[in-house]
Amino acid sequence: MSDPLRELARALANSGAHDAAVDWLRTVPGLPPIMQTLHLASIAVVLGTIVVLDLRVLGLAVPSQSPAEMSRRLAPWTWSALPVLLVSGAIFVLARPQRYFTNPMFGIKFALLVPALALTAALYSVTRRTDARPAIARVLAVTSLLAWIGVVLAGRWIAYVDYLFPPE
Amino acid sequence: MAEFWSWVEMLPLSARIGESWWFPLLESIHVLTAMFVFGSILFVDLRLLGAAAMQYPAARFTREFLHWTWGAFAIALISGLGMFMTRAGWYVTNRAFQAKLVLLALAALNMALFHFLGQRDIDRWDAAARTSKAARIAGAASLFCWLGVTLAGRWTGHLS
Repeated sequence: MSDPLRELARALANSGAHDAAVDWLRTVPGLPPIMQTLHLASIAVVLGTIVVLDLRVLGLAVPSQSPAEMSRRLAPWTWSALPVLLVSGAIFVLARPQRYFTNPMFGIKFALLVPALALTAALYSVTRRTDARPAIARVLAVTSLLAWIGVVLAGRWIAYVDYLFPPE
Repeated sequence: MAEFWSWVEMLPLSARIGESWWFPLLESIHVLTAMFVFGSILFVDLRLLGAAAMQYPAARFTREFLHWTWGAFAIALISGLGMFMTRAGWYVTNRAFQAKLVLLALAALNMALFHFLGQRDIDRWDAAARTSKAARIAGAASLFCWLGVTLAGRWTGHLS
């Protein structure tokens, strides 16, 4: 772990937000699974919107709908799921910053999140203007989906990191 | 019945999954496919509630992607069974897992009721600005069931 990250983890661990997160997760009945379900439901919105648009762009589903209209209609759903993902995930990171910042899968997840967001923004931007489904739209459809699958897999494997990075 | 569950747990495949990275792999596949199932059913629910995609007739809107939902559901079911067999006896007595099965059954019942009874008059409201009362009830019930399935599924792992 790099020094700035270590510093950040330490600062978070000493913050009032850390104490509040720990306290809520411990005392509010069922809060951990409820927050995780909020996180999962937001993943469902992101995956649902992107997969269905991808299938349309690739010509594999919803032939009766206009790709450009779909793109404009689905984009707000994808983007509005992101703040919910951020908040529902942040409470766990705040509660145990050291655990997450030292976890290689956590780093991989956020490294994949950058291309996932960029490719999704590009996909929506290209598809909202035309029903023609150009080659670039198909490439963005496939790559954005792969990036999101990577983000979800890395997220789930944060808990199983020892299989891939055995502790010394 | 307890003997049957311990027999399931003793299967070579159960041990193979439970003692290796197969379990997290199956769990990852389960999360991915189940969340696509939830996300795409959310499309249908919001259309039935009259909250989205009203410019498209409901019946056709649903028909054009639901086979992908079923495909993902099949993969989620198989990966779920793979996880289940590693500790079958524990899962069947887990309250959250029991709740998940009940909610899945209710979701299926809701789907069947709407399919065979609720949409008999679909021609009347299929392209209308407002969906029928039966459609709105079915959409809300489905949303509730699938959110509950997700919560109960996630809660299963929190119980010891």
